[in-house]
Amino acid sequence: MRLLLDLRHISEPAERERLAREADENGIWGVVVTGPQGGECVEASAIATTTHHVTIVVDVDGNDVHPTTLAEEISVLDQITQRRTMVIFRGTSTSKATLATLLSGLPSQGVILSPPPAQASIPTHSPEDIPQTKLPEDVTQLAAIIDQYRDSQTAFLIVSWERPIKELARHAVGRAASADFPQMVADMADQIDPIG
Amino acid sequence: MDMGIGLWCLQSTATSPRSFGQAYQELAEDARLAEDNGIHSLWLSEHHGYYDGYCPALMPAAGAALAATESLQIGTGVLLLPLHEPHRVANAANLLNEQSSGRFQLGVGMGYRPVEFEIKERDMSHRLKLMNAGLDVLRTTTQTPTWVGISSEKAAERAGRRGLGLFISGAFSKDVVNTLIRAHRTAWAKSDPIEDTPPPVGLLRNLWIVDTEAERRRALDWVRSSYLVYAGLGWGADNTGVDFVSQIETSMDEVEKSATVGSAEEIAAELDGYDVDLVVCRIGYDQPPRTALTEVIERIGRELTPLVQDIGVQR
Repeated sequence: MRLLLDLRHISEPAERERLAREADENGIWGVVVTGPQGGECVEASAIATTTHHVTIVVDVDGNDVHPTTLAEEISVLDQITQRRTMVIFRGTSTSKATLATLLSGLPSQGVILSPPPAQASIPTHSPEDIPQTKLPEDVTQLAAIIDQYRDSQTAFLIVSWERPIKELARHAVGRAASADFPQMVADMADQIDPIG
Repeated sequence: MDMGIGLWCLQSTATSPRSFGQAYQELAEDARLAEDNGIHSLWLSEHHGYYDGYCPALMPAAGAALAATESLQIGTGVLLLPLHEPHRVANAANLLNEQSSGRFQLGVGMGYRPVEFEIKERDMSHRLKLMNAGLDVLRTTTQTPTWVGISSEKAAERAGRRGLGLFISGAFSKDVVNTLIRAHRTAWAKSDPIEDTPPPVGLLRNLWIVDTEAERRRALDWVRSSYLVYAGLGWGADNTGVDFVSQIETSMDEVEKSATVGSAEEIAAELDGYDVDLVVCRIGYDQPPRTALTEVIERIGRELTPLVQDIGVQR
Protein backbone atom coordinates (compact mmCIF):
# COMPACT_ATOMS: atom_id res chain seq x y z
CA MET A 1 0.00 0.00 0.00
CA ARG A 2 1.25 3.48 -0.80
CA LEU A 3 0.53 6.60 1.20
CA LEU A 4 -0.68 9.84 -0.36
CA LEU A 5 -0.31 12.93 1.81
CA ASP A 6 -3.41 15.10 1.55
CA LEU A 7 -2.52 18.74 0.84
CA ARG A 8 -5.95 19.72 -0.48
CA HIS A 9 -7.00 21.41 2.76
CA ILE A 10 -3.81 23.49 3.12
CA SER A 11 -4.89 26.97 2.07
CA GLU A 12 -1.52 28.74 2.12
CA PRO A 13 0.49 28.09 -1.11
CA ALA A 14 3.87 28.42 0.59
CA GLU A 15 2.85 25.88 3.24
CA ARG A 16 1.63 23.46 0.57
CA GLU A 17 4.95 23.74 -1.22
CA ARG A 18 6.91 23.25 2.01
CA LEU A 19 4.96 20.12 2.90
CA ALA A 20 5.31 18.77 -0.64
CA ARG A 21 9.08 19.30 -0.51
CA GLU A 22 9.27 17.50 2.83
CA ALA A 23 7.20 14.63 1.47
CA ASP A 24 9.55 14.54 -1.53
CA GLU A 25 12.65 14.50 0.66
CA ASN A 26 11.31 11.86 3.05
CA GLY A 27 10.06 9.29 0.59
CA ILE A 28 6.32 9.77 0.83
CA TRP A 29 4.91 8.15 -2.31
CA GLY A 30 2.44 10.86 -3.31
CA VAL A 31 0.87 14.19 -2.43
CA VAL A 32 -2.74 15.05 -3.27
CA VAL A 33 -3.37 18.57 -4.56
CA THR A 34 -6.26 20.40 -6.13
CA GLY A 35 -7.33 23.94 -7.02
CA PRO A 36 -10.30 25.91 -8.22
CA GLN A 37 -11.95 24.33 -11.26
CA GLY A 38 -9.52 24.84 -14.14
CA GLY A 39 -6.67 25.60 -11.78
CA GLU A 40 -6.04 22.06 -10.52
CA CYS A 41 -3.20 21.36 -12.94
CA VAL A 42 -1.79 24.86 -12.35
CA GLU A 43 -1.47 24.03 -8.66
CA ALA A 44 -0.02 20.62 -9.44
CA SER A 45 2.46 22.19 -11.85
CA ALA A 46 3.76 24.57 -9.18
CA ILE A 47 4.21 21.64 -6.76
CA ALA A 48 5.95 19.60 -9.45
CA THR A 49 8.46 22.38 -10.05
CA THR A 50 9.59 22.34 -6.41
CA THR A 51 9.81 18.52 -6.08
CA HIS A 52 11.69 15.71 -7.82
CA HIS A 53 10.43 12.29 -6.78
CA VAL A 54 6.99 12.43 -5.17
CA THR A 55 3.95 11.49 -7.28
CA ILE A 56 1.63 14.45 -7.83
CA VAL A 57 -1.95 13.26 -7.45
CA VAL A 58 -4.21 15.91 -8.94
CA ASP A 59 -7.84 15.97 -7.87
CA VAL A 60 -9.82 17.41 -10.81
CA ASP A 61 -13.40 18.52 -11.30
CA GLY A 62 -14.49 17.05 -14.62
CA ASN A 63 -17.87 18.75 -14.71
CA ASP A 64 -18.53 21.59 -17.18
CA VAL A 65 -15.34 20.94 -19.12
CA HIS A 66 -14.70 19.11 -22.37
CA PRO A 67 -12.88 15.87 -21.43
CA THR A 68 -10.28 16.51 -24.13
CA THR A 69 -9.42 19.89 -22.58
CA LEU A 70 -8.93 18.24 -19.21
CA ALA A 71 -6.90 15.43 -20.76
CA GLU A 72 -4.65 17.97 -22.52
CA GLU A 73 -3.98 19.75 -19.24
CA ILE A 74 -3.14 16.50 -17.45
CA SER A 75 -0.95 15.30 -20.30
CA VAL A 76 1.04 18.55 -20.24
CA LEU A 77 1.25 18.21 -16.45
CA ASP A 78 2.69 14.71 -16.88
CA GLN A 79 5.41 16.16 -19.11
CA ILE A 80 6.15 18.82 -16.48
CA THR A 81 6.20 16.30 -13.61
CA GLN A 82 8.26 13.90 -15.72
CA ARG A 83 5.94 10.91 -15.31
CA ARG A 84 4.87 11.69 -11.74
CA THR A 85 1.18 12.40 -12.39
CA MET A 86 -1.84 10.49 -11.07
CA VAL A 87 -5.48 11.62 -11.29
CA ILE A 88 -8.52 11.64 -9.05
CA PHE A 89 -11.42 12.44 -11.34
CA ARG A 90 -14.76 13.85 -10.20
CA GLY A 91 -17.38 13.71 -12.93
CA THR A 92 -19.54 11.43 -15.01
CA SER A 93 -18.51 7.89 -15.81
CA THR A 94 -18.68 8.70 -19.52
CA SER A 95 -16.25 11.58 -19.15
CA LYS A 96 -14.00 9.48 -16.96
CA ALA A 97 -13.90 6.73 -19.58
CA THR A 98 -12.98 9.25 -22.28
CA LEU A 99 -10.33 10.79 -20.06
CA ALA A 100 -8.82 7.43 -19.13
CA THR A 101 -8.65 6.40 -22.78
CA LEU A 102 -6.91 9.61 -23.79
CA LEU A 103 -4.53 9.42 -20.83
CA SER A 104 -3.59 5.91 -21.96
CA GLY A 105 -2.34 7.39 -25.21
CA LEU A 106 -5.23 5.92 -27.17
CA PRO A 107 -7.64 7.76 -29.48
CA SER A 108 -11.14 8.59 -28.33
CA GLN A 109 -13.65 9.47 -31.05
CA GLY A 110 -10.80 10.17 -33.44
CA VAL A 111 -8.91 12.44 -31.03
CA ILE A 112 -5.49 11.54 -29.67
CA LEU A 113 -3.46 13.62 -27.26
CA SER A 114 -0.50 15.57 -28.55
CA PRO A 115 1.75 15.73 -26.66
CA PRO A 116 0.94 12.28 -25.34
CA PRO A 117 1.28 11.56 -21.63
CA ALA A 118 4.90 11.02 -20.57
CA GLN A 119 3.88 7.80 -18.82
CA ALA A 120 2.59 4.87 -20.82
CA SER A 121 -0.72 5.50 -19.09
CA ILE A 122 -1.67 8.02 -16.41
CA PRO A 123 -3.52 6.27 -13.56
CA THR A 124 -7.03 7.71 -13.29
CA HIS A 125 -9.18 7.00 -10.25
CA SER A 126 -12.56 8.00 -8.91
CA PRO A 127 -12.65 9.48 -5.39
CA GLU A 128 -14.34 6.32 -4.08
CA ASP A 129 -11.45 4.18 -5.35
CA ILE A 130 -9.06 5.57 -2.75
CA PRO A 131 -9.93 5.60 0.96
CA GLN A 132 -8.78 8.50 3.07
CA THR A 133 -8.18 8.89 6.77
CA LYS A 134 -6.80 11.28 9.35
CA LEU A 135 -3.95 9.51 11.07
CA PRO A 136 -3.70 9.82 14.86
CA GLU A 137 -0.59 11.08 16.68
CA ASP A 138 -0.40 7.96 18.84
CA VAL A 139 1.97 5.52 17.17
CA THR A 140 0.12 2.41 18.34
CA GLN A 141 -3.19 3.70 16.99
CA LEU A 142 -1.50 4.78 13.78
CA ALA A 143 0.00 1.31 13.32
CA ALA A 144 -3.38 -0.34 13.80
CA ILE A 145 -5.02 1.85 11.17
CA ILE A 146 -2.25 1.36 8.64
CA ASP A 147 -2.27 -2.42 9.22
CA GLN A 148 -6.03 -2.54 8.72
CA TYR A 149 -5.95 -0.79 5.34
CA ARG A 150 -2.85 -2.65 4.16
CA ASP A 151 -4.26 -6.05 5.05
CA SER A 152 -7.51 -5.30 3.21
CA GLN A 153 -5.56 -5.05 -0.06
CA THR A 154 -5.82 -1.28 -0.34
CA ALA A 155 -3.50 0.04 -3.06
CA PHE A 156 -3.45 3.69 -1.99
CA LEU A 157 -4.44 5.49 1.20
CA ILE A 158 -4.88 9.25 1.39
CA VAL A 159 -3.75 10.47 4.79
CA SER A 160 -4.12 13.75 6.64
CA TRP A 161 -1.20 14.33 8.98
CA GLU A 162 -0.46 17.34 11.15
CA ARG A 163 2.88 16.30 12.66
CA PRO A 164 6.34 16.37 11.05
CA ILE A 165 6.45 14.63 7.67
CA LYS A 166 9.57 12.71 8.67
CA GLU A 167 7.59 11.12 11.50
CA LEU A 168 4.97 9.93 9.02
CA ALA A 169 7.71 8.59 6.81
CA ARG A 170 9.46 6.80 9.67
CA HIS A 171 6.42 5.14 11.21
CA ALA A 172 3.92 4.70 8.40
CA VAL A 173 5.58 4.32 5.00
CA GLY A 174 7.42 1.06 5.72
CA ARG A 175 4.44 -0.31 7.65
CA ALA A 176 2.13 0.49 4.74
CA ALA A 177 4.48 -1.31 2.38
CA SER A 178 5.06 -4.47 4.39
CA ALA A 179 3.38 -6.66 7.04
CA ASP A 180 6.75 -7.41 8.65
CA PHE A 181 7.62 -3.79 9.36
CA PRO A 182 10.02 -3.76 12.37
CA GLN A 183 8.36 -1.16 14.58
CA MET A 184 11.23 -1.54 17.04
CA VAL A 185 13.63 0.00 14.50
CA ALA A 186 11.39 3.03 14.05
CA ASP A 187 11.07 3.38 17.83
CA MET A 188 14.84 3.14 18.27
CA ALA A 189 15.30 5.72 15.52
CA ASP A 190 13.08 8.06 17.55
CA GLN A 191 15.55 7.66 20.42
CA ILE A 192 18.71 8.01 18.34
CA ASP A 193 17.46 10.72 15.98
CA PRO A 194 14.49 12.50 17.60
CA ILE A 195 12.26 14.37 15.19
CA GLY A 196 11.36 17.96 15.94
CA MET B 1 9.23 49.78 -24.32
CA ASP B 2 9.70 46.42 -22.63
CA MET B 3 11.28 43.43 -24.33
CA GLY B 4 9.77 39.98 -24.06
CA ILE B 5 10.59 36.71 -25.76
CA GLY B 6 8.33 34.18 -27.45
CA LEU B 7 6.79 32.04 -28.58
CA TRP B 8 7.46 28.94 -26.53
CA CYS B 9 5.33 26.23 -28.18
CA LEU B 10 6.95 23.15 -26.59
CA GLN B 11 6.99 21.26 -29.88
CA SER B 12 8.92 18.30 -31.21
CA THR B 13 8.85 19.02 -34.92
CA ALA B 14 9.82 16.95 -37.92
CA THR B 15 12.63 19.42 -38.55
CA SER B 16 14.01 19.29 -35.01
CA PRO B 17 12.71 16.31 -33.04
CA ARG B 18 13.26 16.18 -29.28
CA SER B 19 11.57 14.67 -26.26
CA PHE B 20 8.64 16.56 -24.79
CA GLY B 21 10.11 16.12 -21.35
CA GLN B 22 13.16 18.01 -22.55
CA ALA B 23 10.98 20.75 -24.06
CA TYR B 24 9.19 21.37 -20.76
CA GLN B 25 12.42 21.20 -18.77
CA GLU B 26 13.98 23.77 -21.10
CA LEU B 27 10.98 26.06 -20.65
CA ALA B 28 11.90 26.47 -16.98
CA GLU B 29 15.59 26.90 -17.84
CA ASP B 30 14.85 29.49 -20.52
CA ALA B 31 12.55 31.39 -18.17
CA ARG B 32 15.31 31.56 -15.54
CA LEU B 33 17.83 32.68 -18.16
CA ALA B 34 15.49 35.40 -19.40
CA GLU B 35 14.92 36.60 -15.86
CA ASP B 36 18.63 36.64 -15.06
CA ASN B 37 19.22 38.83 -18.13
CA GLY B 38 16.56 41.42 -17.38
CA ILE B 39 13.98 40.40 -19.95
CA HIS B 40 10.44 41.53 -19.18
CA SER B 41 8.40 38.49 -20.17
CA LEU B 42 8.20 35.08 -21.82
CA TRP B 43 5.18 34.17 -23.91
CA LEU B 44 3.65 30.76 -24.63
CA SER B 45 1.55 29.72 -27.60
CA GLU B 46 -1.28 27.21 -28.04
CA HIS B 47 -2.62 24.82 -30.65
CA HIS B 48 -4.47 21.54 -30.40
CA GLY B 49 -4.17 18.10 -31.90
CA TYR B 50 -1.11 18.75 -34.04
CA TYR B 51 1.42 15.98 -34.56
CA ASP B 52 4.31 17.89 -32.97
CA GLY B 53 2.70 18.33 -29.56
CA TYR B 54 2.27 22.10 -29.97
CA CYS B 55 1.28 23.01 -26.42
CA PRO B 56 -2.49 22.58 -25.98
CA ALA B 57 -2.64 23.59 -22.29
CA LEU B 58 -0.87 26.83 -21.51
CA MET B 59 -1.95 27.30 -17.90
CA PRO B 60 0.00 24.35 -16.41
CA ALA B 61 3.01 25.35 -18.54
CA ALA B 62 2.73 28.93 -17.28
CA GLY B 63 2.50 27.57 -13.74
CA ALA B 64 5.79 25.72 -14.18
CA ALA B 65 7.56 28.77 -15.65
CA LEU B 66 6.24 31.07 -12.93
CA ALA B 67 7.25 28.63 -10.20
CA ALA B 68 10.77 28.52 -11.66
CA THR B 69 11.18 32.33 -11.57
CA GLU B 70 10.71 35.28 -9.23
CA SER B 71 10.28 38.42 -11.31
CA LEU B 72 9.74 37.41 -14.95
CA GLN B 73 6.27 37.94 -16.38
CA ILE B 74 4.77 34.90 -18.11
CA GLY B 75 2.12 35.41 -20.78
CA THR B 76 -0.06 33.42 -23.11
CA GLY B 77 0.38 34.61 -26.65
CA VAL B 78 -2.31 33.50 -27.20
CA LEU B 79 -4.74 31.15 -25.47
CA LEU B 80 -7.55 30.25 -27.87
CA LEU B 81 -10.49 31.33 -25.75
CA PRO B 82 -13.37 29.90 -27.86
CA LEU B 83 -11.87 26.43 -27.36
CA HIS B 84 -12.00 26.67 -23.56
CA GLU B 85 -14.57 27.06 -20.81
CA PRO B 86 -14.05 30.72 -19.81
CA HIS B 87 -14.82 30.24 -16.11
CA ARG B 88 -12.01 27.67 -15.92
CA VAL B 89 -9.63 30.06 -17.71
CA ALA B 90 -10.51 32.80 -15.24
CA ASN B 91 -9.98 30.49 -12.26
CA ALA B 92 -6.60 29.36 -13.57
CA ALA B 93 -5.53 32.94 -14.37
CA ASN B 94 -6.50 34.09 -10.89
CA LEU B 95 -4.56 31.24 -9.31
CA LEU B 96 -1.48 31.94 -11.45
CA ASN B 97 -1.56 35.58 -10.43
CA GLU B 98 -2.03 34.70 -6.78
CA GLN B 99 0.87 32.24 -6.84
CA SER B 100 3.19 34.62 -8.68
CA SER B 101 2.30 37.94 -7.05
CA GLY B 102 0.78 39.29 -10.26
CA ARG B 103 3.27 38.06 -12.87
CA PHE B 104 0.80 36.37 -15.20
CA GLN B 105 -0.47 38.02 -18.41
CA LEU B 106 -3.46 36.50 -20.19
CA GLY B 107 -3.37 36.85 -23.98
CA VAL B 108 -6.39 35.42 -25.79
CA GLY B 109 -7.28 34.85 -29.43
CA MET B 110 -9.99 33.24 -31.51
CA GLY B 111 -8.27 30.33 -33.27
CA TYR B 112 -8.57 29.50 -36.94
CA ARG B 113 -8.03 25.74 -37.41
CA PRO B 114 -11.29 23.87 -38.08
CA VAL B 115 -9.87 20.66 -36.64
CA GLU B 116 -9.36 22.33 -33.27
CA PHE B 117 -13.01 23.34 -33.11
CA GLU B 118 -13.99 19.81 -34.15
CA ILE B 119 -11.88 18.31 -31.36
CA LYS B 120 -13.64 20.53 -28.82
CA GLU B 121 -17.05 19.96 -30.49
CA ARG B 122 -17.59 23.65 -31.11
CA ASP B 123 -18.94 25.37 -34.21
CA MET B 124 -16.14 27.41 -35.72
CA SER B 125 -18.64 29.74 -37.39
CA HIS B 126 -19.60 30.83 -33.85
CA ARG B 127 -16.06 31.64 -32.80
CA LEU B 128 -16.61 35.41 -32.58
CA LYS B 129 -19.70 34.85 -30.45
CA LEU B 130 -17.77 32.39 -28.27
CA MET B 131 -14.89 34.85 -28.00
CA ASN B 132 -17.11 37.73 -26.90
CA ALA B 133 -18.98 35.54 -24.43
CA GLY B 134 -15.65 34.39 -23.04
CA LEU B 135 -14.39 37.96 -22.70
CA ASP B 136 -17.60 38.87 -20.87
CA VAL B 137 -16.90 36.10 -18.35
CA LEU B 138 -13.27 37.16 -17.93
CA ARG B 139 -14.29 40.78 -17.37
CA THR B 140 -16.39 39.87 -14.34
CA THR B 141 -14.26 37.08 -12.89
CA THR B 142 -10.62 38.05 -13.20
CA GLN B 143 -8.40 41.07 -12.67
CA THR B 144 -5.62 39.45 -14.67
CA PRO B 145 -4.18 41.81 -17.33
CA THR B 146 -5.79 40.63 -20.55
CA TRP B 147 -4.53 41.12 -24.09
CA VAL B 148 -6.32 40.18 -27.31
CA GLY B 149 -4.49 38.82 -30.33
CA ILE B 150 -5.74 40.71 -33.38
CA SER B 151 -5.06 41.11 -37.07
CA SER B 152 -7.72 43.62 -38.20
CA GLU B 153 -8.89 47.14 -37.35
CA LYS B 154 -12.31 45.86 -36.34
CA ALA B 155 -10.77 43.45 -33.86
CA ALA B 156 -8.52 46.23 -32.54
CA GLU B 157 -11.57 48.43 -32.03
CA ARG B 158 -13.42 45.66 -30.20
CA ALA B 159 -10.49 45.22 -27.83
CA GLY B 160 -10.26 48.98 -27.31
CA ARG B 161 -13.94 49.30 -26.46
CA ARG B 162 -13.48 46.58 -23.85
CA GLY B 163 -10.40 48.25 -22.41
CA LEU B 164 -8.23 45.24 -23.24
CA GLY B 165 -4.61 45.21 -24.40
CA LEU B 166 -3.56 44.32 -27.93
CA PHE B 167 -1.22 41.55 -29.03
CA ILE B 168 -0.32 42.23 -32.67
CA SER B 169 0.99 39.66 -35.15
CA GLY B 170 4.59 39.95 -36.27
CA ALA B 171 4.02 40.03 -40.00
CA PHE B 172 2.61 43.57 -40.31
CA SER B 173 4.50 46.66 -41.49
CA LYS B 174 5.07 49.59 -39.17
CA ASP B 175 2.29 51.58 -40.89
CA VAL B 176 -0.23 48.76 -40.46
CA VAL B 177 0.78 48.24 -36.83
CA ASN B 178 0.36 51.91 -36.00
CA THR B 179 -3.00 51.99 -37.85
CA LEU B 180 -4.22 49.11 -35.70
CA ILE B 181 -3.00 50.88 -32.57
CA ARG B 182 -4.78 54.11 -33.56
CA ALA B 183 -8.02 52.19 -34.09
CA HIS B 184 -7.58 50.56 -30.69
CA ARG B 185 -6.90 53.81 -28.85
CA THR B 186 -9.68 55.72 -30.60
CA ALA B 187 -12.23 53.05 -29.70
CA TRP B 188 -10.91 52.98 -26.14
CA ALA B 189 -11.16 56.78 -25.80
CA LYS B 190 -14.75 56.74 -27.10
CA SER B 191 -15.76 54.15 -24.53
CA ASP B 192 -15.63 56.65 -21.64
CA PRO B 193 -12.88 54.75 -19.86
CA ILE B 194 -12.27 55.07 -16.14
CA GLU B 195 -8.51 54.62 -16.56
CA ASP B 196 -6.19 57.52 -17.42
CA THR B 197 -4.01 55.57 -19.82
CA PRO B 198 -4.99 53.35 -22.73
CA PRO B 199 -4.57 49.58 -22.43
CA PRO B 200 -1.12 48.27 -23.40
CA VAL B 201 -0.04 47.11 -26.83
CA GLY B 202 2.36 44.26 -27.50
CA LEU B 203 3.97 43.49 -30.83
CA LEU B 204 5.28 40.10 -31.86
CA ARG B 205 8.36 40.39 -34.07
CA ASN B 206 10.63 37.85 -35.75
CA LEU B 207 13.93 39.11 -34.43
CA TRP B 208 17.53 37.97 -33.99
CA ILE B 209 20.71 39.77 -32.94
CA VAL B 210 23.70 39.03 -35.21
CA ASP B 211 27.16 40.45 -35.85
CA THR B 212 28.05 39.18 -39.32
CA GLU B 213 26.40 38.66 -42.68
CA ALA B 214 26.81 34.88 -42.32
CA GLU B 215 24.99 34.96 -38.98
CA ARG B 216 22.31 37.12 -40.54
CA ARG B 217 21.72 34.62 -43.35
CA ARG B 218 21.58 31.78 -40.85
CA ALA B 219 19.05 33.61 -38.67
CA LEU B 220 16.87 34.39 -41.68
CA ASP B 221 16.94 30.72 -42.65
CA TRP B 222 15.63 29.91 -39.17
CA VAL B 223 12.84 32.45 -39.67
CA ARG B 224 11.94 30.83 -43.00
CA SER B 225 12.04 27.40 -41.42
CA SER B 226 9.82 28.54 -38.57
CA TYR B 227 7.25 29.68 -41.10
CA LEU B 228 7.33 26.25 -42.71
CA VAL B 229 6.62 24.69 -39.31
CA TYR B 230 3.83 27.21 -38.72
CA ALA B 231 2.41 26.79 -42.22
CA GLY B 232 2.00 23.10 -41.50
CA LEU B 233 -0.70 24.08 -39.03
CA GLY B 234 -2.46 26.08 -41.71
CA TRP B 235 -2.44 23.33 -44.31
CA GLY B 236 -5.35 21.76 -42.53
CA ALA B 237 -7.31 25.01 -42.54
CA ASP B 238 -9.40 25.92 -45.55
CA ASN B 239 -10.81 29.25 -44.46
CA THR B 240 -7.85 31.37 -43.39
CA GLY B 241 -7.62 33.26 -46.67
CA VAL B 242 -4.11 31.93 -47.16
CA ASP B 243 -3.20 29.18 -49.61
CA PHE B 244 -0.34 27.81 -47.54
CA VAL B 245 0.75 25.13 -49.97
CA SER B 246 1.00 26.99 -53.27
CA GLN B 247 2.23 30.21 -51.69
CA ILE B 248 4.82 28.74 -49.39
CA GLU B 249 7.89 30.26 -51.07
CA THR B 250 6.21 33.66 -51.48
CA SER B 251 5.04 33.60 -47.88
CA MET B 252 8.47 32.63 -46.61
CA ASP B 253 9.97 35.52 -48.61
CA GLU B 254 7.47 37.91 -46.99
CA VAL B 255 8.17 36.58 -43.51
CA GLU B 256 11.88 36.99 -44.15
CA LYS B 257 11.33 40.60 -45.24
CA SER B 258 9.35 41.37 -42.09
CA ALA B 259 12.03 39.90 -39.82
CA THR B 260 14.21 42.27 -37.83
CA VAL B 261 17.71 40.85 -37.91
CA GLY B 262 20.86 42.85 -37.19
CA SER B 263 22.98 44.33 -34.46
CA ALA B 264 21.28 45.45 -31.27
CA GLU B 265 21.69 49.06 -32.41
CA GLU B 266 20.12 48.34 -35.82
CA ILE B 267 17.20 46.54 -34.21
CA ALA B 268 16.64 49.34 -31.69
CA ALA B 269 16.57 51.85 -34.57
CA GLU B 270 14.04 49.67 -36.42
CA LEU B 271 11.81 49.39 -33.33
CA ASP B 272 11.85 53.16 -32.82
CA GLY B 273 8.59 54.46 -34.25
CA TYR B 274 6.45 51.57 -33.08
CA ASP B 275 4.04 53.08 -30.59
CA VAL B 276 3.94 49.96 -28.42
CA ASP B 277 4.54 49.07 -24.78
CA LEU B 278 6.09 45.69 -25.41
CA VAL B 279 7.92 43.89 -28.19
CA VAL B 280 7.89 40.12 -27.97
CA CYS B 281 10.97 38.92 -29.81
CA ARG B 282 9.97 35.80 -31.67
CA ILE B 283 12.99 33.59 -31.16
CA GLY B 284 11.34 30.33 -30.15
CA TYR B 285 12.17 28.65 -33.46
CA ASP B 286 12.80 24.96 -33.55
CA GLN B 287 15.97 24.94 -35.65
CA PRO B 288 18.56 27.09 -33.87
CA PRO B 289 20.94 25.06 -31.73
CA ARG B 290 20.43 25.48 -28.01
CA THR B 291 23.61 27.53 -27.70
CA ALA B 292 22.31 30.04 -30.27
CA LEU B 293 18.99 30.36 -28.46
CA THR B 294 20.55 30.95 -25.05
CA GLU B 295 23.00 33.44 -26.57
CA VAL B 296 20.26 35.49 -28.18
CA ILE B 297 18.24 35.51 -24.95
CA GLU B 298 21.28 36.92 -23.15
CA ARG B 299 21.89 39.51 -25.88
CA ILE B 300 18.25 40.65 -25.98
CA GLY B 301 18.41 41.20 -22.25
CA ARG B 302 21.83 42.76 -21.97
CA GLU B 303 22.24 44.62 -25.28
CA LEU B 304 18.82 45.36 -26.74
CA THR B 305 16.73 46.00 -23.64
CA PRO B 306 18.80 49.00 -22.45
CA LEU B 307 18.67 50.53 -25.96
CA VAL B 308 14.86 50.45 -26.25
CA GLN B 309 13.98 51.53 -22.72
CA ASP B 310 13.27 55.08 -23.82
CA ILE B 311 11.34 54.42 -27.04
CA GLY B 312 7.73 53.43 -27.63
CA VAL B 313 5.09 53.97 -24.99
CA GLN B 314 6.33 55.19 -21.62
CA ARG B 315 4.22 54.33 -18.58
